[in-house]
Amino acid sequence: MSLASACISSEFARGERPARFVVDLPLLLAALALLVLGLVMVGSASIGVAQHNFGDPFHYLWRQGAYALVAMVLGAVAFFVPLEFWRRSGPLLIIAAALLLILVFLPVLGQEVKGSRRWLNLGVVNLQASELAKFFVIVYLAGYLVRHAEAVRTSLAGFLRPLVLLSFLVVLLLLEPDFGAAAVMLATAMGMMWLAGARMSQFVLLLLILLAMLAAVALLESYRLDRLTAFLDPWKDSTGSGFQLVQALIAFGRGDWFGVGLGSGIQKLFYLPEAHTDFLLAVIGEELGLVGVLAVIALFAVLIHRIFRVGREAEKRDHFFAAWLCYGVGLLIGLQAMINMGVNMGVLPTKGLTLPLMSYGGSSLVVTAIALAIVLRAHHELHRYDRVSQRRVKKS
Amino acid sequence: MTDRPTAAVSPFRLALVRGIFLFAVLVLVWRGIDLHVFQQAQLQREGDARAIRVVPLAAHRGMVLDRNRKPLAISTPVDSLWVQPREFLQARAQWPALAKIIGMDVARMERFVMQRQGREFLYLKRRLTPDKADQVRALKLPGVNFLREYRRYYPLGEVAAHVVGYTDVDDRGQEGIELAWEDWLRSRPGKKRVVRNLLGQIIEDVEQIEAAQAGRDIVLSLDNRLQYLAYRELKRAVKKHGARAGSAVILDVRSGEILAMVNQPAYNPNNRQRLRTARFRKNRAVTDVLEPGSTIKPFIVAAAMENGLVRPHTVINTAPGLLRVGHNTVRDIRNYGRIDVATILKKSSNVGATRIALATPPEQVWNTLVRVGFGQPTASGFPGEATGRLPHYRNWREIERATLAFGYGLAVTPLQLAQAYAVIANGGMMQRPAFLFGGDRDAPVRVMKAKTARDILGMLEAVVSSEGTASQAAIPGYRIAGKTGTVKKVGPGGYLEDHYISVFVGIAPVSDPRMVMVVTVDDPRGEDYYGGKVAGPVFARVMAGALRLYNVPMDDLDNPDIRLAAVEGRQ
Repeated sequence: MSLASACISSEFARGERPARFVVDLPLLLAALALLVLGLVMVGSASIGVAQHNFGDPFHYLWRQGAYALVAMVLGAVAFFVPLEFWRRSGPLLIIAAALLLILVFLPVLGQEVKGSRRWLNLGVVNLQASELAKFFVIVYLAGYLVRHAEAVRTSLAGFLRPLVLLSFLVVLLLLEPDFGAAAVMLATAMGMMWLAGARMSQFVLLLLILLAMLAAVALLESYRLDRLTAFLDPWKDSTGSGFQLVQALIAFGRGDWFGVGLGSGIQKLFYLPEAHTDFLLAVIGEELGLVGVLAVIALFAVLIHRIFRVGREAEKRDHFFAAWLCYGVGLLIGLQAMINMGVNMGVLPTKGLTLPLMSYGGSSLVVTAIALAIVLRAHHELHRYDRVSQRRVKKS
Repeated sequence: MTDRPTAAVSPFRLALVRGIFLFAVLVLVWRGIDLHVFQQAQLQREGDARAIRVVPLAAHRGMVLDRNRKPLAISTPVDSLWVQPREFLQARAQWPALAKIIGMDVARMERFVMQRQGREFLYLKRRLTPDKADQVRALKLPGVNFLREYRRYYPLGEVAAHVVGYTDVDDRGQEGIELAWEDWLRSRPGKKRVVRNLLGQIIEDVEQIEAAQAGRDIVLSLDNRLQYLAYRELKRAVKKHGARAGSAVILDVRSGEILAMVNQPAYNPNNRQRLRTARFRKNRAVTDVLEPGSTIKPFIVAAAMENGLVRPHTVINTAPGLLRVGHNTVRDIRNYGRIDVATILKKSSNVGATRIALATPPEQVWNTLVRVGFGQPTASGFPGEATGRLPHYRNWREIERATLAFGYGLAVTPLQLAQAYAVIANGGMMQRPAFLFGGDRDAPVRVMKAKTARDILGMLEAVVSSEGTASQAAIPGYRIAGKTGTVKKVGPGGYLEDHYISVFVGIAPVSDPRMVMVVTVDDPRGEDYYGGKVAGPVFARVMAGALRLYNVPMDDLDNPDIRLAAVEGRQ
């Protein structure tokens, strides 16, 4: 039990009634720190591009600020929604996810940006369908793993059924195309199955099949293979396929220990494409240096650690829906963060994935906030029961 | 809780997932340290190689001014348009608008850019005027940049073009003063190190490596008013007589400064179309030579007088108007009979001049000609100046001594001719001609006895009288001295019939000479070809204006023509 959550809950623990709010403070603080740092860095990273494209250097900053506000409000709302609601809506949500991913291919609703159909035009804002879909899949899968716990662990059918449904969504994602989202969604689902106790032999076999399929997909389109291998030696073609990574690596190098100072980076000034989205960490590396990068890594480590911890506690208390939900969220955010940072630093192939909580983009920010709110809700529900049961023990 | 009771899975599975994440975090931390600390120097170098550039700092070239500090050449700021093809290609929709502003054909622009796509720097249009550049800036095209440069502008245009010269597109002097004084006028561009973004825009000045240094101004001896006047009159005369070319030079007698120097045909240095043809570019007054013809006679007479052989009133028999020298015959246009030396000059008698020349030792003739500057450069420092030609007297045969007496067998530039007459005007003192105003000059050197110079000057005044050959060079109110020349042109097979160069050299005013002016008109095709009739009137018009502009007091108030001229002037 963390000291922080103990402190907050102890106040309520002395009272007669169950505690109204039990908050995992380190988790909340880490998330808020990442959110605020992300906002600042998005502002800094996008100054040049915003001025160039919109004539307003703070174009992206204002928007990201608004998204952050919306995300916090919706996160707070989600905190008050009992987990029971999510468990019941699981099957509905998986249908919603499929619908969203189909809608992007419709002519008016779907928005094509840079050759990919990932966006739904909602008039005022654009919605990235895959962000919602990833979250919905986690909620659905958590429910499924609870409902069919025995089947998943014993029969092949129970193991494969959700995956068949999932593969349909993955195909839709690949058609957009959004290779990164498909990979993260699959990996998250696989991770959840693993933690839910899928049989080792089946799991390993499936993993091998999936890896083979991933390889096939990568080889199918030559540009994917180029991008997949370019990271090994970006200097070989530093003006072509390796351009982005070279510029990112230069950004880290320029940063040194403490960075060139907030706002003083030059790599973001058109040298580094997607500086305020996929390559935000490189901008942090240049402007805040090694210290800034280590801080971001540490904050994500704390965040993921706390999420898994909540999941483990739920599991111990036989609150399996909450457990699988937390594991799912932890895997999703963790995978995406690690992959994005790995891409930025050139240890993974350059892939279009955003840094959760930090990169520019409203859909991702809002969905991540809701997902974290649900983890906090799970923590809250667990510990509220703790207090009630403890008190009963004392009374008896 | 409503969860169905299921057994928790083994802690090992969660530990494995957490272990994978821990491993990922460790890899990222190690990589972060690796990039930031160990690869830092190399990455920074790569970054600098991409972002840091040395760019020139433009400075303007020095001005060329006339003696009254009026500009003859000034540098005005212009913007050269350059593009980065890769970015520029993204805005093809707006190319027609750009092409229209910079006056370029769209198709040509497309070809030009497409062929050079791989470059990072491409001049699309050099030297746009600032307002055109602003119009282009307003289009906000990607990959479009400007470089500040300076364009040379010549306010006098063709009037002073030959003397001032011009610069090339890179602002280097190519002709004239611009070339001769290149080192003085030239600006020294500075250098600075800057950080550029990928669009080529300068984000940050890192350091100034070298300060830009503007060129220094230069003040010429030219007077733009006389320049205008001389140019207008020469052009008019060349046109009127259908001549091929012409030159005029005005020298300040005392300082040797060149007050005006004009030529025909001319070019406008602001518009370079005619530049390719040398015919238009040549500063003929300095670079072209001609045989001086009768204008040499005063110096032949001077040589004889310096040696005490003749005096102004020494009588010489020119009858019967022709003289056999070897196999050749020297002719006058008519038989003048027995005339004195003054009359020989006044009537420009070839026979008289030849008799004097043959009576004078060749060495003395040669000495006199060399002392007044023939056959050597004038030390004006003008690029491409011709030396002229004066054969050594040891090689003179009798016929050469004879033809030399009326100005054949040697070649001089109009400037040399002016320089020589300035000696007569300046009482025998030689002052080297100069294109620069003021400054330290060599002291004048005596090259002719004062009395000889005075006598010659007096005799030359008679040339401009009503009985002389140059009555049309007269200026009411002033005493004018001068000498005409009508020189046969040389063709492939010797001297040509009916092709002449008309020359007049004048000195004003006689009582206290201030200016010498040489006028040459090459190959007048009209009825008139005599120096007095073609070149003389040019002298009269220009010199009348020059004397007035310089407030030179009249020294011939008794002349009844003044009143008449005043009446004509008012009409």
